[in-house]
Amino acid sequence: MPPNATVGRVSMQEREYDIVIIGSGAGGGAAAKELAPLCADGVKIAVLEMGAKLKEEEYSGREVEMSRRLYIDSGGTLTRDRAMTLAYGQAYGGSTVVYTGTSLTMPEEVVKRWNVPGLEYEDLHRRSLKYLEENNVHLLPEDELNDNNRLFLEGCTKLGYHIEQFPINVKGCLSSSLCNLGCPNQAKQGTHRVQLPRAEAGGVEVITNCRVARIVDRVCEAVVTDPGFGEPSPWAPGEYRVKAKVVVVCAGGAVNSAALLLRSGFGEQLPNLGRYITLHPALILVGEHDRAITNFFGHPKSYYCDEFWKSDRFLLETCMYFPFVTAKNLIGFGAEHSDLMRAFPRLQMILVLALDPAIADNRVTVDSDGKPVVDYTLTDDVLDTLHSSMLASARVFFAAGAKRVHAPAGATFFIDAADAGRIDELIPRENVLPGKISITSAHLMGGCRMGRDPGDSVTDGWGRVHGTPWLFVADSSLFPQCSEINPYVTVMGLADRVAEAIRNNAGELLSS
Amino acid sequence: MKSLSQEKAEFLRVLAARIVPETTELDSAGMGRFFGLIDEALLERPAAVRRQFGIYLGLLRWAPLVRFGGPFENLRADRQDAVLRWFESCPVGLLRAGFWGLKVLIFMGYYGQPETNAVVGYAPERDGRAGLHAGA
Repeated sequence: MPPNATVGRVSMQEREYDIVIIGSGAGGGAAAKELAPLCADGVKIAVLEMGAKLKEEEYSGREVEMSRRLYIDSGGTLTRDRAMTLAYGQAYGGSTVVYTGTSLTMPEEVVKRWNVPGLEYEDLHRRSLKYLEENNVHLLPEDELNDNNRLFLEGCTKLGYHIEQFPINVKGCLSSSLCNLGCPNQAKQGTHRVQLPRAEAGGVEVITNCRVARIVDRVCEAVVTDPGFGEPSPWAPGEYRVKAKVVVVCAGGAVNSAALLLRSGFGEQLPNLGRYITLHPALILVGEHDRAITNFFGHPKSYYCDEFWKSDRFLLETCMYFPFVTAKNLIGFGAEHSDLMRAFPRLQMILVLALDPAIADNRVTVDSDGKPVVDYTLTDDVLDTLHSSMLASARVFFAAGAKRVHAPAGATFFIDAADAGRIDELIPRENVLPGKISITSAHLMGGCRMGRDPGDSVTDGWGRVHGTPWLFVADSSLFPQCSEINPYVTVMGLADRVAEAIRNNAGELLSS
Repeated sequence: MKSLSQEKAEFLRVLAARIVPETTELDSAGMGRFFGLIDEALLERPAAVRRQFGIYLGLLRWAPLVRFGGPFENLRADRQDAVLRWFESCPVGLLRAGFWGLKVLIFMGYYGQPETNAVVGYAPERDGRAGLHAGA
């Protein structure tokens, strides 16, 4: 709904709760579960989620169909300059429905780098460990790892690169490899499987297909629609005014939380609102082996390499994507491109994550229709990082035995193993051209950053919006800088703090 | 297509033949799915983006006039590829991004069809354990 749209009073329906949480992903789901015990004391809590709750049989594993059901803009939200695409979820469970479930806790030095008053590493770590336990996080046994992951291990080990196995949050994984399209086997322990059902059992109401347009004086102006799939929303389609008597918690993710608060007029009092977005700009790279490997059976993401974390500011992770996503991440077209696509069962894949700096001008704004717009500049340093990561990945592929490698900045479409010693020459830095190379992001962070005061941030260290005691943020938008790891456990840890702040101040908030 | 005129849709078919040559082997049902997926993707974008895409197609079609003396569809295949390569690496970032967007739509139209999974050897299964351990 446009920010200035008049909401007709004739059809408007009113609802009233004590606490309204907007968004049901890692942040909203964790906050809902933590606050649910208050329902036993008569506190009314609602979660408003813009996405649908899919029926189990709707997890089809079909690439485009699931992308349209589970991702905003089908996973192809463009930055304003169209040099990057952003993939983030919309569903009962938010992006936790579509991630791979890799579960890491923040390194101590990153928390210290964040330098948020009142946020101590020990506290965040303790809470993160709670969610590792809650989400059944563990290491997969070796015999459940596929060739794609083993080859990454082999390549990194030969090169002497430091590598770690990802702990993941699955229960009853059947190795479908379809994590990013929503697990069809209910194995991934996202908030849709763990925190939201617990919250609902405790009395929290979750309203799906419900998009909040803006918040005015603790009233969320929302619209419920019928997308034509999923379980019906508990509320009939139409317009709603949802009053939060005590607290509103924004947990719509980095883009949507910032956009919602901007539409709601908070930009004037909070000059940093929407700013300091970080994205972990990512590349998907492939190497071709001369034999079929197991790549689309088995969990797609078992290892990461942090050898270059400090020196060159990137991580390498294993990954496995689907034909369309793979095709669009290759450079070029025509016969060469088709040739590589037809090698799909022989492809090894690596995901690069660049650890990008927090820059004020990288920001979320809203257009005249109230829709979010993301301005993001790939700095020369980040492009250097992406270049270095391509070189490192090519070395890993060849060390793992790949017969040829496709590097998006390569001087030629393929680099053959015979030329492995000329990688530096064959992948020139000047070929790292934004707009030509497919650069994506699935880790959207910042925009409502934590900090000391409105001069440097949007919220305090407990997620409370400066100057608005009834308004909290509980998602990755709180990150003052990038997390330098896959972020969902940290989001849960921060949401856990937000819930505690609300519980501890319930009396004060009720009387305010 | 609801999102593009018949003329532009036909031109998209010409471009698709260079970008994914296998599109020329699609039967009418396959081409229907190809255009259907692209149509859905364009329709979920703002009208301004659809207009810009239409303009971009026009640019691709007529840009070769100066260099090669005719519209894109009249060029030899190697010249068509040269035009596309120029746009892909164009010094103007927005034109590069536009070409990437065109490729994405065509890749979606072809590789986004479950029916083409077999062409590339992609055969996922809900229970992938047997496939995972097949070679063990």
